[in-house]
Amino acid sequence: MKKFRNLNHNVTFSLIVAFIIGSIIITALGENVFRVFGILISGAFDGSLKFGTTLQFFVPLFLTAIAFAVSTKVDINNIGVEGSLLLGAIAAAVTGAYVTGLSPIFHISLALIIAIVVGAAWAYIPAILKIKLNVNEITVTILLNYVALYFTSFLVMGPFSADVGAPRTMTILDSARIGTFLSPSKANYGIIIAIVVYFIILFIFSKTTFGYKITNSGLNSKFSFFVGINSKRMRIIGMLISGAIGGLAGGIEVLGVYGFYLYGFSFNTAFDGMLISLIAKNNLKKIPVIAFFIAALKSGALSMARYTDIPKSTIDMLISIFILLVAMDGIYEVIKNMVIRKKEREEAKC
Amino acid sequence: MLDILQNLISLDVLNATIRITTPILLVALSAVITQKANILNIGAEGIMLLGAFFGIMFSFFSGSWVVGALAGAVIGIIASMFMAVAHIEFKADIFVVGMAFNIFAIAFTRFGLNTFLNSTGIFTPQNLSTIPKINLSFLDPESFIGRLLFGYSLFDYLAIALVFILWYVIYKTRWGLHVRSVGLNEEAAESAGINTKLKKYQVMFLSGILGGLGGAHLSIGYTSVFVDNMSNGRGFAGVAAMFFGGANPIYTWLGTLIFGFSQASGNILQLYDFPSQIILMIPYLLTVVILAFSLYRRKAKATKRNRTF
Repeated sequence: MKKFRNLNHNVTFSLIVAFIIGSIIITALGENVFRVFGILISGAFDGSLKFGTTLQFFVPLFLTAIAFAVSTKVDINNIGVEGSLLLGAIAAAVTGAYVTGLSPIFHISLALIIAIVVGAAWAYIPAILKIKLNVNEITVTILLNYVALYFTSFLVMGPFSADVGAPRTMTILDSARIGTFLSPSKANYGIIIAIVVYFIILFIFSKTTFGYKITNSGLNSKFSFFVGINSKRMRIIGMLISGAIGGLAGGIEVLGVYGFYLYGFSFNTAFDGMLISLIAKNNLKKIPVIAFFIAALKSGALSMARYTDIPKSTIDMLISIFILLVAMDGIYEVIKNMVIRKKEREEAKC
Repeated sequence: MLDILQNLISLDVLNATIRITTPILLVALSAVITQKANILNIGAEGIMLLGAFFGIMFSFFSGSWVVGALAGAVIGIIASMFMAVAHIEFKADIFVVGMAFNIFAIAFTRFGLNTFLNSTGIFTPQNLSTIPKINLSFLDPESFIGRLLFGYSLFDYLAIALVFILWYVIYKTRWGLHVRSVGLNEEAAESAGINTKLKKYQVMFLSGILGGLGGAHLSIGYTSVFVDNMSNGRGFAGVAAMFFGGANPIYTWLGTLIFGFSQASGNILQLYDFPSQIILMIPYLLTVVILAFSLYRRKAKATKRNRTF
């Protein structure tokens, strides 16, 4: 409990510092801090387009954050969520465009299931290398992200190209489209799928023996072995779930937002998701709030860039500073000790 | 077919390979030196991007590539020292810091491109002072050596020299031995009287210089532009090459050459309508295979040893 409270202090402290740095940058660029932050907030929530865009950004960030958090439960850092997302997206795009004669519910389900399977299969490679041979998963997943990127770029410019100038696949059929709401924004009912997935994952990890076995295999694989848990198998399953959620995120992006696979549509989405999970210290319960916060910032940044002289990248910069500060577990301790020591010195003087 | 092969195995491709490899090599060496002290410098990508940005900005404003290259090295040092402090003093996970820093570098350079250089996406200055090319005028430009060594810049030679310098420093000097012992067993090194913290700061410092220079070379040597997210995974490729070479500078160089060759040959094969993405994919796949294979061999050896005892 005490540790938990410290963590909150750390996040608050980091948020304040990032806010101060942001204010300094804004002032240096000759803008009014309050006006800019006002536009930032209204840009995220005011009106159906703006709020819808926040929700649209929220879904992939939320899902990829969950995917990363799940992989950390089995003590693996799955940076390959991006690869699962890309491959899941193109799988969904191809299923959505080329499979005909299905009713919407079947078509959407089929496309998403294929995206999930592809995403999970992709995560199987680093999982098996890690478990069987102890190959550093960070390196492997970063490398495989590039393989996925080049492979999808080959597919989108070669066999599945729509031949329209832009490197993209054919537009999916109407029967594969996930419905949108809050028009004219691109917010779509994929958000319901994301929330359902979240609660299923939360339930598995907090209430079931299966979830307990998975978590335990990550915490202490030797212990798990002695109490009869097949920790190797559990860790692989954990990675498969992680990849599956990544694939799902890609599938929803294609079926709900874009309607086709566009080369480069996901610029580091899963990296942002990973950072969200890291801010939450991979705590599943905190991920929704932080993912929503980051999505709102990103959506608000669009308005900010339009109506002020502050470039959009400022927000990304502040988000990364925020994460850097949160990562420094020790920094809050150091400051606390400094304050305590100062107090002691003052007391000694009296 | 034969005609394609002839084009691939040519001096021009070899020449291009060396030039394409240099930035990757510099950043790979920056990952090698920290890896020796057991720090996985995933932030090398970000260091490189910042180096490229500051390199071109300072070269542009000062009119001298020397200032640009120095600025690249200095920003590399600042960045790596920041990560070192976060990791060593404030107990931040080096992987988290590195990844967050990479995102920061992309955002910061984009921000800087807007605010300092008044451009979006790309900055193409006129009359930029770039790292000079070494003209070996005494060589016949049509001869084998002349064609092989044509058009290299100073940094192409420097990077290759650094491979051997770094190899010597790591394996043949006392300092290198200390660094390696920190990497192998920190507690043992500590009890042997080595200041492990200082060693870690030192390797991060050197890593910053190498990564920053690699970045500067990218924007004012290899090209003379700055493009948004210009490092484009070269830092990660460098880290991969470092793993490929088991953190040995010479083997790592080999690893980076594979990346360079695949890109050089990809450019040629594209002319024949061969999908270049497949070629570009190969070094990444190959590194995964080699990583898996080397660990498989290590594991097989370990089981064999256990059996004898």
